[in-house]
Amino acid sequence: MKPLLEVRALTIDVPKGEGWMRVVDGVDFSIGAGERVALVGESGSGKSMTARALMRLDDALRIGGAIRFAGEEVLGCTEAEMRALRGSGIGMVFQDPMASLDPFMRVGDQVAEVLRIRGVGRAEAHARAVAILAELGVRDAASRSGAYPHEFSGGMRQRVVLAMALVAGPKLLVADEPTTALDARIQQQVLDLIDDAAADRGLGVLLITHNLGIVAGFADRVLVMYSGRIVEEGPVEQIFAAPAHPYTRGLIAAVPRADMRVDRLPPIDGAPPSPARRPSGCAFHPRCPVRLPVCVMTAPQLRPSGGGSVACHLAAAEEAMA
Amino acid sequence: MFDSPAADPALPNRFAPVRAAAPLVRFFARRIGLSVLTLLGLVTLAFAMTKFIPGDEAQVAAGPDAGPDQVEAMRARLGLDAPAIVQYLRFIWRLLHGDLGTSIVTYQPVLRDLERVLPSTLELVAITMVLNLVIAIPVATIAAAQGGRGLDALTRIAAAIAAGLPVFWVALMLQFLLGTLARVLPISGQRGFGVTVPNWTGMRTLDALLSGNPSAFLDASLYLVLPAATLALHFSSQLFRALRASLELAAASDFIAPVKAKGASTARILWRHALPNALPPVITLAGTQIADMLGAAVLVEAVFARQGVGAYLANAVAQKDTFAVIGTVLFVGAMVCVVNLLVDAILLATDPRLRAAELARGGRQ
Repeated sequence: MKPLLEVRALTIDVPKGEGWMRVVDGVDFSIGAGERVALVGESGSGKSMTARALMRLDDALRIGGAIRFAGEEVLGCTEAEMRALRGSGIGMVFQDPMASLDPFMRVGDQVAEVLRIRGVGRAEAHARAVAILAELGVRDAASRSGAYPHEFSGGMRQRVVLAMALVAGPKLLVADEPTTALDARIQQQVLDLIDDAAADRGLGVLLITHNLGIVAGFADRVLVMYSGRIVEEGPVEQIFAAPAHPYTRGLIAAVPRADMRVDRLPPIDGAPPSPARRPSGCAFHPRCPVRLPVCVMTAPQLRPSGGGSVACHLAAAEEAMA
Repeated sequence: MFDSPAADPALPNRFAPVRAAAPLVRFFARRIGLSVLTLLGLVTLAFAMTKFIPGDEAQVAAGPDAGPDQVEAMRARLGLDAPAIVQYLRFIWRLLHGDLGTSIVTYQPVLRDLERVLPSTLELVAITMVLNLVIAIPVATIAAAQGGRGLDALTRIAAAIAAGLPVFWVALMLQFLLGTLARVLPISGQRGFGVTVPNWTGMRTLDALLSGNPSAFLDASLYLVLPAATLALHFSSQLFRALRASLELAAASDFIAPVKAKGASTARILWRHALPNALPPVITLAGTQIADMLGAAVLVEAVFARQGVGAYLANAVAQKDTFAVIGTVLFVGAMVCVVNLLVDAILLATDPRLRAAELARGGRQ
C-alpha cells in the first residue's frame, strides 16, 4: 500500500538577489495514513519551509523533487487543483494563533469559509463550523462563533485555527510549531486537542517543532533536520533511547526532564549555519563534539541504522566495526 | 467606572452590547463637543482675519459715490464704530441666536445667501466623492491582483501622473477637448436653456429626480460631468495610491497564508480579506479629502462658471463682506466636522478591534 504522503528529493530555493539560495536540499520522507511524524530542528533548518511547500503556500519559492499526496503529484497540480487540495486534502495549523486569523472577520465565518469555498450552503456551513468549534472545546460555540479573534485568548484562537484546518475533513494535518507561541500551561492542552482530533479522524500528522520535549508522547516517528537536510530518522523510542547522530544527542540533552536535576541544561555550542554559508562536508561539523577528519570533506549520506537511518560518518564507522 | 467583562478579551462577553451603548454615546458626545469648540475657534480666527484685510466695510456698504458723512453714518449703522472686541461679542451673541448677519453686498441675510449657493457645491462634492470611491477601490484591488505586472504597473504610472496634474489645468483641458473640440458636453453653467425644476433641495439633479423629470435630470447631470470628472481624476488617483499601498501591507499579513491554506482563490483573498483590512486608513484619507474637495471646487466652479460657494466666497473676500466670509467659513468647517464624525462612525462600525478599544476606554473613564 502506498503511503499517504511521499516526499522525494525535495529541494526548495528562495530568491536571493539575482539568483537562488537553496534552503532545503534533498529531503525524503513519507507519512502513512494515520501516522504521526515529527519534523524536528532549530530555526532556519528548513522545516517550516518543507511544511509550507507541501501545500505550495509561497509562490515566490522554487520547489524541486516530488511530493505525492494520495497518489497525486502535488508539484504538477494546476492552481485550481491546489485550491481543492488545500483544506480538504491537507489542513494546516500555523505557528502564531494571534496572527493567523483575519481580525476583521467573525471566527465562525472564518471556519465556515473553508466549507463555503467548497459550495456548502450558508446555514449548513455555519452549523458545521459551530459543531467543530464545540468539539474542540470552545464553550458556548454558537454565540462565540459571532465574536472576533481579538475577543479570544491565544489558546482559544489556536482552537479556531485547528477548526479551520479540520472542518473540511482533510487526510493529513500539518501543524507548524502549533504550540510555540502559547503559554506553557496551554501548550499541552492544544497538543492533546490535536492528538484527540487526529486520533478520532485517523489523520496523518506532520508536527513541525523545535521542541523535542513535546514529540515523545505524540509522534510515531521522528525526522531530525539540520541545515536543509534530514540527518536522522527513526521510530520515536529509538530516537530517544539510542540517538545515533551527535546533533540528535545534543537536542535530547537540551530537553528538560523531571527525573534529573541539573543546574543548567547543556546547550549545543555555536549557532545553526545560514543556508548562504553552509559548511563543507557535514553541515554540522563546526559544532560537532565528535568530529572526524572526513566530516569536513564529504557530506555523509543517509543510511539505514537500527530501525531508522542516520547521516553521520562516525555512526557509519561504528556500525561497520560492530 | 464599572466592572466590564470586556476588560478581559479571553472571557465571553455576552453582556457587552447592552453596556456598550454608554461608552459609544460618550465617545460621540465628546467628539461633537470638540467639533463645536473647533468651529468657535474657526469663527474667531475668520473674524480676526477679516479685520486685517485692507479696505473699509463702511465704504463698500455705502457705495462708491458716498461722501464722508454718508460713510460715517453707514459705519454707525453697521456698528463698525465700536471696538473690534465689542463687534466680535455682538457677532457671537447673534450667532448663538442663529443669525449670521447680513451681507453688505447682496443686502440679504448671509444664511439666505448660503441656502442659495451651498447646495450646488455640495452636489458637486457629493458626486465627486462617489466617483472617487467607485473608481479608486475596484481599480486598486484589481491592480493588486496583478501583483506588479500589466494593469498594476500601468495604473500606478497613470495615477502618479494624474495626482500631479494641477486641477485648474485639467479643468481647462477637459473643457477644451470635450466641450469645445468634441462638443459632446456643456462647458459652463449648470442648466440648459429653458429647463426648470422646482427648488426643493437646491441640488438640481436631486430636484429633477424628486419632481419626476428625467430630461431635467439628464440635463443637470451633463453639466456636472466635466467639473466632477476634473475633481474625481485628482482625488481618486490620490485615494488609489493610498489603497494600493495599504493593500500591499494587508496582503503581506500573517493571516493571509492561513486563508490560502483553506483553499481560497486569489480573488477571495484580496476582496474578502485583504481589502477590509486595508480600508480603514483609506476611509480616513477620504474624509480629509472632503475638505480639499471644497477647496478645489472653488477653482473648478470658476472654470465651469457654476454658481456655488466658490464664487460667493471669492466675491465676499474681495468686497470685505465680513459676515458673508465668516458664514461661509463656518458652514464649510461644520461640513468638515460632520464628515469627520461620519468617518469615526464608519471606522467604529467596521473595525471590531477599534470598537473594542473604544469601549474599553469608555468603560475605564
